[in-house]
Amino acid sequence: MLTPEQDHALTLLLDELIPPSEDGRLPGAGALGLAEGLREHALTPSIAQGLERLDALAGEQGAASFAAAGNREALLRALDTESPGALGGLLFHTYTTYYQHPQVLEGLGVDPRPPHPKGYEIEAGDLSSLAAIRQRGPLYREA
Amino acid sequence: MTEEIADVLVIGAGAAGAALAWSLAETRMKIVCLEQGDWMDPADYPTNRLSWEMERFGAFGLSPNSRGRREDYPVNDEESPIKVSNFNAVGGSTVLYAAHFPRLHPSDFRVRSLDGVADDWPIDYATLAPYYDQNAEMMGVAGLAGDPAYPPKEPTLPPVPLGKLGDTLARGFDKLGWHWWPSDSAIATAEHAGRAPCINLGPCIMGCSQGAKGSTDVTYWPVAERAGVELRTRCRVREITVDENGMADGAIYIDAEGAEHKQRAEIVVLACNGVGTPRLLLNSASASFPDGLANRSGLVGKNLMFHPYGMVTGIFEERLEGYKGPGGCCVISQEFYETDLSRGFLRGYSFEMLRGMGTVASALFAMSTGRLEWGARHHESYAEIWDRTAGMVVICEDLPELHNTVTLDPELVDSDGIPAPKLSYRLSENSERMLAHGVARGAEVLEAAGAKETLSEAPLPPAGWHLMGTARMGTDPKASVVNGWGRAHDVKNLFVVDGSVFVTSGGVNPTNTIQAWALYVADMIKQNLANLFD
Repeated sequence: MLTPEQDHALTLLLDELIPPSEDGRLPGAGALGLAEGLREHALTPSIAQGLERLDALAGEQGAASFAAAGNREALLRALDTESPGALGGLLFHTYTTYYQHPQVLEGLGVDPRPPHPKGYEIEAGDLSSLAAIRQRGPLYREA
Repeated sequence: MTEEIADVLVIGAGAAGAALAWSLAETRMKIVCLEQGDWMDPADYPTNRLSWEMERFGAFGLSPNSRGRREDYPVNDEESPIKVSNFNAVGGSTVLYAAHFPRLHPSDFRVRSLDGVADDWPIDYATLAPYYDQNAEMMGVAGLAGDPAYPPKEPTLPPVPLGKLGDTLARGFDKLGWHWWPSDSAIATAEHAGRAPCINLGPCIMGCSQGAKGSTDVTYWPVAERAGVELRTRCRVREITVDENGMADGAIYIDAEGAEHKQRAEIVVLACNGVGTPRLLLNSASASFPDGLANRSGLVGKNLMFHPYGMVTGIFEERLEGYKGPGGCCVISQEFYETDLSRGFLRGYSFEMLRGMGTVASALFAMSTGRLEWGARHHESYAEIWDRTAGMVVICEDLPELHNTVTLDPELVDSDGIPAPKLSYRLSENSERMLAHGVARGAEVLEAAGAKETLSEAPLPPAGWHLMGTARMGTDPKASVVNGWGRAHDVKNLFVVDGSVFVTSGGVNPTNTIQAWALYVADMIKQNLANLFD
């Protein structure tokens, strides 16, 4: 379990990983509520540990906590540099949940629904160049 | 418990078992099929849920070792760079296949005569041609007549639409002057035999929620059952038993509750794929067959062939709408299929185009290739990948080699305690050279089609879909396991109808040929019923 302070910090952290897009079509990962799925998750203990380290890094720079710091992306990059791969599990989870969220699909111009039952229309395509291929004659070996 | 004697016992309800059972049903014989998996419900397939892309990491993954389904058996594939991808259910691996449905070429049956390597098949293209046609009608094959890579053939349904992505790639082949053709696909592009038409869902390899893909649970099995074939699911065969004369007399199987049964039979047909069939034969060793059933040649489990796959992905400037349309089927190229020694290898390969990726797969692809940034540049880096990728696979012919084997693992067992298969396989130099050639030519195609960058991987580890060669057919009992119509040389009422019998692999997906072979064997059984065991 995360403390309420850690939960808040995680939301801010997720918004650093995937911030809202400049054109406003795509929300930040934190604002989308992705922290909710991480409150009781296999990743929760390592997230809590990472947040503690981020608080410590923020403290070294005079901020009260990671959440209170003004340069959160820089703090995350410092953590990533001192512990390469530390963000890997969280990034995997964040990307996979973010990119199947209806709001994100809509922002990407994709109908926010499963493929079935509506499916998709696609063009038949241009088959006119096959005439030239036919004219090459048999490409297989007689046996 | 002993049950009523069946005239024919078929083991495995996948591509081959379904076709054979359907064909034999007209004889009115008592036909029983035992299948370790269950019926699948199309409403359970991932494309019914927004989470569909992530389900490839779970119950709809490719590997039986990671899916966690009781119906699967584990495979020790640590000594193979190519890992088994199969499925156990009514329909077998056709439930999760891409439905690419090419035929072998005439030359594939004459590799020794034409190229001086491997062996010729005891049958030829003309033998199977009528059964390819019959199978096309039953499975519903979409395609376009006139492909100069093949002798004349008539698909039953219009071709799968190319879409923007297929069109883009076709222009790449056109620029190079290379062969391409709309893929033969077991996909109902129009209503066919009660099946609804394809609506371009995308991930055929996770099961078709629409029922448009030709998996045998929706093609052969409904007809076969109506014709009287009895299909028992969740029944896992442990061994085939033999009588005092060395004839197969049935099989011992374990049902869903763990109870053991014996099904007696006059004829036993194996349809368990190129790994499952040798596993079962080796697990059926007895006093009469101490090295495994029908294994006096010593060739059961030998000559394992995959198709080594290479994959080439192109990144394009424009969006390709690649997430729409049958994922594995749009365009095939056989420009490099037939032997040309100037290329530095024998035999050849096919290219098959792949559609693009969904939103999640795009993120994971970008992440795994180091292209996806987090932080302020995240959306910009994602946009460079999303819906801007197109790929192709290179499917190389694999030649048989005795050292590539399926044996029984000394420790690994399935959930019923039955010894599991162990693979030992390595790529030949010929395959390595062929893969390198294919990947390089594939990149040329993608660049000609407008890709700004290409990436490749070869061999592709999870591409062990095609399992062949481990109970090969032939005329010489010392050099083959079954004869030219699938009957075991050593056991005259035992037949094999799956990819185990392949003498060589060709450079195309084998399902169509496996089913044509099964239909041919069924006809041979019918024609020879009076003296079947002579």
